[in-house]
Formats: sequence, structure tokens, C-alpha cells
Amino acid sequence: MRRILILLLVLLISLVSHALVTFEMWRMRGQVRSTTVAGYVLPSKFSSVLAFGYKGLLSDFLFLKSVTFFGERHLAKKILSDGDWQYLLTSLDVVTDLDPYFEDPYVFAEANLAWEGKVEEANRILEKGRKNRNWDWRIPYYIGFNYFYFLQDYEKGAEYVMEAASRPGSHPFLSTLGARLAYYGGKSKTAVLFLRQMILETTDPGLRTRLEKRLIALERAAELEAKIELFVKEQGRKPTSIEELITAGYVDSLPPDPYGGQWVILKNGRVFSTSKFTDSR
Amino acid sequence: MKKLLALALITFYEGIRNRSVFGIAIFSMFVFGLNVIVAGFFMRDIGKVTIDMNLSGLSVAGLLLVFFVVVNLMAKDIDRKTVHLVLSKPITRVEYIWGKYLGVVLFVFVSMAVLFMFSCFTVILVKGMHSDYFAQFSWTVFSLAALFVFLKIAVLGAVVVLFSTLTSNSFITLIFSISVFIVGTSVEDVLFFLRSGLAAQDVAVSKTLWIVIEVVSYLVPNLAVFDYKISAAHGLMPAWGQLGLSLGYGAVYIVVLLVVASCVFSRREFN
Repeated sequence: MRRILILLLVLLISLVSHALVTFEMWRMRGQVRSTTVAGYVLPSKFSSVLAFGYKGLLSDFLFLKSVTFFGERHLAKKILSDGDWQYLLTSLDVVTDLDPYFEDPYVFAEANLAWEGKVEEANRILEKGRKNRNWDWRIPYYIGFNYFYFLQDYEKGAEYVMEAASRPGSHPFLSTLGARLAYYGGKSKTAVLFLRQMILETTDPGLRTRLEKRLIALERAAELEAKIELFVKEQGRKPTSIEELITAGYVDSLPPDPYGGQWVILKNGRVFSTSKFTDSR
Repeated sequence: MKKLLALALITFYEGIRNRSVFGIAIFSMFVFGLNVIVAGFFMRDIGKVTIDMNLSGLSVAGLLLVFFVVVNLMAKDIDRKTVHLVLSKPITRVEYIWGKYLGVVLFVFVSMAVLFMFSCFTVILVKGMHSDYFAQFSWTVFSLAALFVFLKIAVLGAVVVLFSTLTSNSFITLIFSISVFIVGTSVEDVLFFLRSGLAAQDVAVSKTLWIVIEVVSYLVPNLAVFDYKISAAHGLMPAWGQLGLSLGYGAVYIVVLLVVASCVFSRREFN
């Protein structure tokens, strides 16, 4: 009886120690992972050989790893270094080489790379998707948005949106959007339309929250642009600064930029923010 | 033919009785179950991830069956000397090899068919949970891909049969068969990489290496031919000609291996 009691006591102590050590271990790993540099991804030519016939599965795993890495950095509010971006780019490249039909990396590239200033890189990855997922209207739609919004190449943007409109299952509003894009390219209102459609297509809660935050920013920019248009119509000149809208009584106050930046009027009359609508400044 | 079928049935029952089969079945169930959890981690292509995981689970289960159960089934007769007893019956050595192989294939087919049913159940479950993300999914392509996973395992089964006639040590058979699997899955990528202009920029390839790889590409089965997992994951129906050629390639390769194995086994001396 005494022996059993001693054994039970030892078991209890071991279990408690195990629970404490495990708790500490996970805490420590959380810290280590948020500070360690990004991993290394084997180039596609090696990864495809080393997948041993499981290219699809390897692409799932690598993509999940990249998303986790990005998510951890985002949660810890850490700004991604050049090395981190390089890791993400290579990883997305390898994932889309292993399985060029995989939709998620393209959605990820559009929602995160493009908005963080890596537009050319995002477009390069998206082009792979445009070629391989030739039934999917979303990919040319994303490229069109990038040309329109980030690169201000409205002609090219309209071209891609028109291509998206010609693909099966595309939203009927795309053909009008393409035409609108060609005409009113430099308006935030057009970007709002783009973004609303993207949010409708997104179920991932994290991504949705980020897109909704951008939508709020763009809607506010669009509102200010409308007021500037009214100002120009009534006063016959452009306002010298965004603050002039308040002094002239067009707005009571400037709406806050959800990213914490200051509103500015660009030379082309478009309203933008010093935050560039991203968290990583 | 009757003798062949009798031997095949004995081999089949012997395989089913092997306890490793339960372990492999549990492993597959684990992968299928894991699929239900992991699928939710992805943004949109949940259908693709589900099919990837199911077909990969099925493929790994098939590999475990062929490397651990089939190798044992082939080696057992020689290790335990029961081959003398079998060959003392009115059965030729060639019939022995073909009968054994038929038994092995039947065993692998039945085991994988059961696992495939469980896999279908997982797909139905995940499809029910995330029906919006299965628009591209096709049961026909999924079943075809599973059939070609079985064909790959059948080819590897023939490889195991050949090596078990060449050596009496089951470990050596295992090592050689795994090596053929590794080379077989990667030979296509290596060959096309070397053939592509990219190779010329990266590495200087010697002529001898070229010849070796070209020869290897004819000797070793190109297992990528049977890989329709990515097509199934995206519901893309491969061309019938492509499917027919893959089937033909597998069938011819199996026959060649079994004929070589029969020749070797006919001349083999047992101690």
C-alpha cells in the first residue's frame, strides 16, 4: 500500500513537472519563433525532386508554413525585414511551381505582397496563376487591380479586368468596371469597387479584417475626393491642401485614416495618406 | 491457371493476416482524420488540400504495404524454406512467381480499396463542411487518380518480386526496392532539368552522366507517369490518351519485371 502511495506521489510530481516544463517550452518557442530569421526554401528544381511524388502535399505544407510565418509576424506587430520578404517570395514561387493550380498562394500574394509595396513581385506570381488557372477570373482581376491601383497603368488594368470579365463565372459588374477603369482610372471610388468584390470573395477572417480596414481607408479617401470635385466645381480651382476643405466648409473635420496617416492631395487630384494604407511604415 | 489462383489466394490470406496491415490502416485513418482539421487552415483551396492529403495518405499506405508487408510475404517462403514444400507440389517456378505476384496485387488492391472507401468518407465529410470550395472537384478524376496510385504500387510490387528472386535477404530487397522508388519518383524531374536550357547555365553536365541518366530512365520505372494527384486536386480531367499510355506503360513494365523474375527464379539454386 505504501509503495503504491509513493508511486502515485512520484507520478503526480512528474505530471505536474511535465505540465510546467511543457508550458514554459511553448512560451519559449513562441518567443524564439517571433525573433528567428526566416527559414530557407529550397529552389523549385530541388524541391520538385525531393517531393518524391508528393508535390501537391509539399506545396500545401510550404504554403501553410509561409502563412504561419507571416501571421506570427503580423500578430507580434513586427515589421518584416528584407530577408523575411525574400523568404516569403521564394516560398510562394516554389509553392506555385510545385502546384501551379493552387489558388491560395495567388490570393495571399495579392492580399499581402501587393499592398506592402511588392507589386511587381506579386504580379510575377499572379501571372503564373493567370496562365495555369485559365478558368479562374479572379487572377486577371487581381493583376488588373494592381496595374490600376498601385502602378497607375489604367490601360493595362482595364485590359486585365476585361480578360477577367471574359472568363467563365465572372461577376457581371466586371465588364462595366473595366470600362470605368479605362475612363475614371485615377479615382479611389473605383478602388472601393474592386475591394468590395475582394471582400465578398474572402472567407478567411484574418485576411477579411485586413481588407475591411483598407476598404474603410479607401472609402474615406473616396469621400474626400468627391468633396474636392465639388470644391473644384464651385470654386473653379483645386484646394491648396486637404485642410482647405474644412476652412471652406466642405467637411466639418477630416475622417481619421485607420492606418494612422495624414491625408494628402496628390497632383492628379487623388486623395492618399502618408500611411500608404499599410501597417508597416 | 487453377494452381496460380490457389497460390494467389494463399498469398492474399497470408497478407491479410499480417498484423502490420492494422498499423497501416490506423496510420491512414490518422491522415484522413488530420485532413478534416488541416483543411480549415487554408483560405480558399480547401478541396485541393483535401484531395492532396487523401491521395497522399492512400499512396503512403500503399508504399508501406509494399515495402513492409509484400517484402515479407516474398521473403518468408525462402527464409523459412517453405519454398521447397511449395515447389515439391506440381507447380512450376514460373507459376510460383506469377501466383505470388497475383496474390500480392490482390492483397494490395483489397487493402487499398478499403482505405479508399474511408478516404471517400473523409472527402464527403469535408465537402459537406466546406461545400463552396469543392466546385472543381470531380469524383471521376479522384477515383482515377486513386486507381493510378494503386497501379504505381502494383509496379513497385513487381520490383519487390524481382529483387526477392535475386537475393534471399529481405532487408536487401527492401533497400533495393526503396532505392528504385526514390529514383523512379525523381528521374523525370532530373531528366527534364538536365534537358532544359536551365541546366546549361547552372551546371556543366558530363557526357557520361548524360548517358547514365538516359539509360536509367529506361531501366527504372518512371513513377511520375502514375501521378494524377494534382489533376485530381483541381478536378482537371487528364486526356484519355495520356491515361491509356500510363496504364499501358505500367502493364508492360510489370510483365517485363515478372518475366525477368521468372527467368532468374527458374535458374536459382536453394540451399
